Amino acid sequence: MLEQIFSMIFTTSFGYSIIRITSPILFAALAAVVAEKAGVTNIGLEGIMMISALFGVLFAYWTSYWWVGVIGAVVVGIILALIIGIFALKLKTDIILAGIAINLVGSGGTIFLLYLFTGLKGNTASLTTPGMLTPKINIPILESIPVLGPIFSGHSILTYVAFILVFLVWVLLYKTAIGLQIRAVGENSNAADSVGISVLKIQYIALGISGALSGLGGAYMSMYYSQSWNTGIVAGRGFIALAAQAMGQGEPLGTMFASLFFGFASALGNKMEGMQGFSSFLVSAIPYVATIIGLILYAATQVRRVKRVKNNGKKKNAEAK
Amino acid sequence: MGNKQKLKFEFMRGFVAIAIAIAVAFIFIFICADDPAKALNCLLIRPIISNGALNVSSILTILGRMTPIIFTGLAVCVMFSANQFNLAGEGTVMAGGFVAALLAIYVPMAAGLHPVVCILVGAVVGGLLMLIPAIAKVKLNASEMVCSLMLNYVVLYVIMHFLSNVFADRSQGSTQTYPFLETAKVAKMVPGTELTWGFVIAIIATILVGFFMYRTRWGYTIRMIGINESFSKYSGMRVGGVIVLSQVIGGVLSGMGGAIEVLGRYNTFLWKDLPGYGWTGITVAILAKNNPLAIPFAALFIAYLNRGCELMSIYASVPAEMIDIIQAVIFLFFAAEQFMSKTRQKMVVKETKEELAKKQQEAAVEGGNA
Repeated sequence: MLEQIFSMIFTTSFGYSIIRITSPILFAALAAVVAEKAGVTNIGLEGIMMISALFGVLFAYWTSYWWVGVIGAVVVGIILALIIGIFALKLKTDIILAGIAINLVGSGGTIFLLYLFTGLKGNTASLTTPGMLTPKINIPILESIPVLGPIFSGHSILTYVAFILVFLVWVLLYKTAIGLQIRAVGENSNAADSVGISVLKIQYIALGISGALSGLGGAYMSMYYSQSWNTGIVAGRGFIALAAQAMGQGEPLGTMFASLFFGFASALGNKMEGMQGFSSFLVSAIPYVATIIGLILYAATQVRRVKRVKNNGKKKNAEAK
Repeated sequence: MGNKQKLKFEFMRGFVAIAIAIAVAFIFIFICADDPAKALNCLLIRPIISNGALNVSSILTILGRMTPIIFTGLAVCVMFSANQFNLAGEGTVMAGGFVAALLAIYVPMAAGLHPVVCILVGAVVGGLLMLIPAIAKVKLNASEMVCSLMLNYVVLYVIMHFLSNVFADRSQGSTQTYPFLETAKVAKMVPGTELTWGFVIAIIATILVGFFMYRTRWGYTIRMIGINESFSKYSGMRVGGVIVLSQVIGGVLSGMGGAIEVLGRYNTFLWKDLPGYGWTGITVAILAKNNPLAIPFAALFIAYLNRGCELMSIYASVPAEMIDIIQAVIFLFFAAEQFMSKTRQKMVVKETKEELAKKQQEAAVEGGNA
């Protein structure tokens, strides 16, 4: 059986599906990174993805341009994140509760909104026009290289955007003035305030960016991954993204690796589903179990690191005496 | 501001929040219903009055639907009071219900004892599940929120596995277990309705949780941790243990709620998705401002709205999912501490001015006497 699994993992199609599955998680995880860096926890990622996925498809269908759909999804994402911002920052709703409210709208409210706009119930499978799905891109030279080609070429344009965004978010956070301000606000908002940074403004900006990123994640789900919108489309990816952010220590690159780890677990699950002797349900649970274990392992290493630093400090103190 | 003033203000603010939510609902109804008047009638009046008479069966349905969300509301109440954003209510409700269902099918027991054992075991399972995020939080400082969210999905898929691969009744068209033994069912309070004795247990649980939170040392510690964790730690409270305790109590309550719901409302276990009571419990707890004794009223309100939306979807073709948008709006405004802060400011200023004027008058009178 192990042999069977190994022979499955070492195929190019498996590599391809890891990247395909990782992309939406990566979008949302980067969204979590930016928000968390500014000291705001955006738990509404799940709901934002759900709603922007719906509006992405609708905009693309109405205009039959996929890029209008993508932009629409991003705008909807930003608006929703700013709604969370207004309630959390201005009206002092606990930000976790504000996020949960958006998730409520995402899980049930979308069904209502879909009906409101189209009269459809539960999914948009019947809404199709040519040109509404994001196109796949074959990368010229890479495409013809064996092994690498089939894994890295031929993905949706948004997949490449996701991985480029890892770099861009890093640049934003560490190489720009606004990034410095975001980190300062997250590190110590009082100190940031004292040197004249407008804490609220920075937090709004960070939330807006995180909304835009999760909007892209939503667009990816409905306009490429599932090819239409349905009620179970996001299935906890927004929550997994929060876990990826925590495991990636809030850094873009680390978060990318954590997302890839979840992508790997999901891809493995998908492949094993067809095999004899595996329950498809237990296999579906793999990424979530992996998340809990990963989170606990990461937290354990953190605790140990803190202890070591403390012990070192004590030793030094003792030596000094 | 005096206590009475504060209470008055809180009431007013809650009222405005609900009014805004209902207004949002009105707007949606006018956009999407063919006959808005009929839809509004269904939403607001029909749950209790239909055709000019009290709609008794609908009222009993509302009371019955309150039962599970009272339990999850109480669970959230205890956990959020300790500032633990544990969101595994969904998973523990389902797990509690499933385990209770298995006992109800496969373990014959005496009539009076059977449901009690099932419910207690369901509660224990709920509590044990909550130990995972709770201990990870206390020992390792892992986010209980992320952990509990993941736990929901793990519980869902594991139960789905056992439901469809091990315990399924193959003679049925849909995936479900064999029927419960008659002895295991939670008896109906009014035959032929959804109202079971579980409702009474829910009310008793409310009183017990209220007593626990406001009249015991543990409850006090939980509330103190919620207000200021560092203070609690430095004044010698056992913070870690109490944080675990609060989440385990949350798990016990929601597991119990799940068990009672499954054994009271159904003849067989047929949930194929997370039931949603965990999230509704959060709305209920927010409406009740984390006060256990207010939970049944908040649950009544949500159950009423839910019933209204259901009737609206049947008679006026407005999708029942509108409830989620209404809930979200209420949720946001209710939890907003600064909502209507200007009005509060005005109230405080007015009161202070009155007091000052009174004092000046008194001083003037005293001055005249001397």
